[in-house]
Amino acid sequence: MATVTNWIDHLSASEVAGQVYPYVGTEWLWLTIAIVFWIWWHISTAAGETEEQAKLGRKKHGPNDYKKNIPDW
Amino acid sequence: MDNELAALTTIFTEFYYWMTVVLMFLIHVGFCMYEVGASRYKHHQHTLMKNTLLIPLVTITWFFFGWWIYWAFPTGPGLAPSIMTENSNLILGGGFGANDLANATNPLMAVNLGDHIMGVFWAAFLLFSWTAASIVSGAVIERITTFAFGILAIAIGSVFWSIDAAWGWHFDGWMLKILGYHDAYASGVIHAICGGFALGVLAVLGPRIGKFSSSGEPRNIGPRNPWLVCIGLFLIYTGFWGFYAACNVPIFNLGPEYGMEGVTFFTATNIYMTPTTLSGITMNFLLSLAGGLLAGYWVSKGDPFWTYSGGLAGIIAASAGNDLYHPLQSLIIAAIGTVCAYKLHYWVERKYKIDDAVGAVAVHGYAGVVGLVICGFVLWGYPSSGYSVGSMWVGTDYAPINPLGMIIGAIIMFGVLGFLPGWILAKILHGAGKLRIPRDVELAGLDYNIMEAASKDEKTVASSSR
Repeated sequence: MATVTNWIDHLSASEVAGQVYPYVGTEWLWLTIAIVFWIWWHISTAAGETEEQAKLGRKKHGPNDYKKNIPDW
Repeated sequence: MDNELAALTTIFTEFYYWMTVVLMFLIHVGFCMYEVGASRYKHHQHTLMKNTLLIPLVTITWFFFGWWIYWAFPTGPGLAPSIMTENSNLILGGGFGANDLANATNPLMAVNLGDHIMGVFWAAFLLFSWTAASIVSGAVIERITTFAFGILAIAIGSVFWSIDAAWGWHFDGWMLKILGYHDAYASGVIHAICGGFALGVLAVLGPRIGKFSSSGEPRNIGPRNPWLVCIGLFLIYTGFWGFYAACNVPIFNLGPEYGMEGVTFFTATNIYMTPTTLSGITMNFLLSLAGGLLAGYWVSKGDPFWTYSGGLAGIIAASAGNDLYHPLQSLIIAAIGTVCAYKLHYWVERKYKIDDAVGAVAVHGYAGVVGLVICGFVLWGYPSSGYSVGSMWVGTDYAPINPLGMIIGAIIMFGVLGFLPGWILAKILHGAGKLRIPRDVELAGLDYNIMEAASKDEKTVASSSR
């Protein structure tokens, strides 16, 4: 829902409200969602990294094996 | 803003900090280039990703709690009285112990027509936070997991440096009042703490495979791409201009701020609200860069890597007092800091088998500590804050700058808030098996799978006729 629907009315009020972003008063909700997203990101990417490295480690490549994979393009 | 002069001052200040943020972005570009250039081919892409990801991780956590910590803990808590009292009109209330502006849920932490400064000030501090995490990033390349680095980046970028900034880089900080701590351009509050933190992590993480011979002799793993390292360091120098500017308040009337009746004195100030000039610090920045480059070239016998790093170490060493030094003092202090950093790097490497891949502990940590100690002697007797003379700050004294206070300050920065948390967190991550990549992955190269896939793609494309 729009916090401001008419700039002239808003700016000519006796006391101008500073916050103009939508859904003023719901900041806790956005913060909670953001923190959940942040923690989920760590868990998800850590699991992916562990799995990828375990798979690569099992192949026992030598320290110079990567050289055969250097592309020329 | 109901008159043109107030509006001009406010919007100029808003734009000033915004510009510093843009300039400081180059520090991160430089760090990314530098790290990739220093890493070996088989680790390039993961090295780049590791450093890049600290941008979003530190940014969101700086919004969640980092900025709040800075405003919450200047007095310790409980170590010194606050000047932010009702008498001074500085206390803003709320915000769980900090002030309202730093509370992540407060309407003021957003687009707000009643405030033009806090967002850009928040961003300037955020860019310092990226730098803090990025300093650590370079030291640990080629063997740390991205997960572990993410946790460590948040710890140094959004927690520990924020605590030290509250204590020693805030006009109400207890370290100013009790110790007479002075650190205008962050020799300690950014560089020494991050060097110490990196050293703590490295002590647990261990060296790269092959770094030391079986007899313990260190081997050189030189920069893979010296040109990328060179451009990266030039970009860090460039961004450092923005860093210096961001540490200042561009225009401020100190008369009423200090409670001096009838006195008007407009000036730029440092972070502690004591007067300096952009003109003077520009000379000091350049002379300290020159001192570091000359000393780096001399002590390393012309090694390009250490000459460039010397320039950075020189600026870092002189930064604590560059708001007040004479330019030639900056030159000499920078040269001394650079030589100390270089010598200590190799001594610690041999003695403790520490593999600091880019010399970050030396350039930031040792040079920062040396700079703090020297500052204590050279600026001995200067007030650590202008507020110490203001009649409005009844009941609160600020110690003058002095050697002992600065030495203790250096120990707090490098050791207490740097090395110790780094070492403890690394131990916890190591205990959970999450700190270091598996040995076989380190040997094969973090990018092995990416390179293998690229090679297959190339063969497929090359053999295609349509």
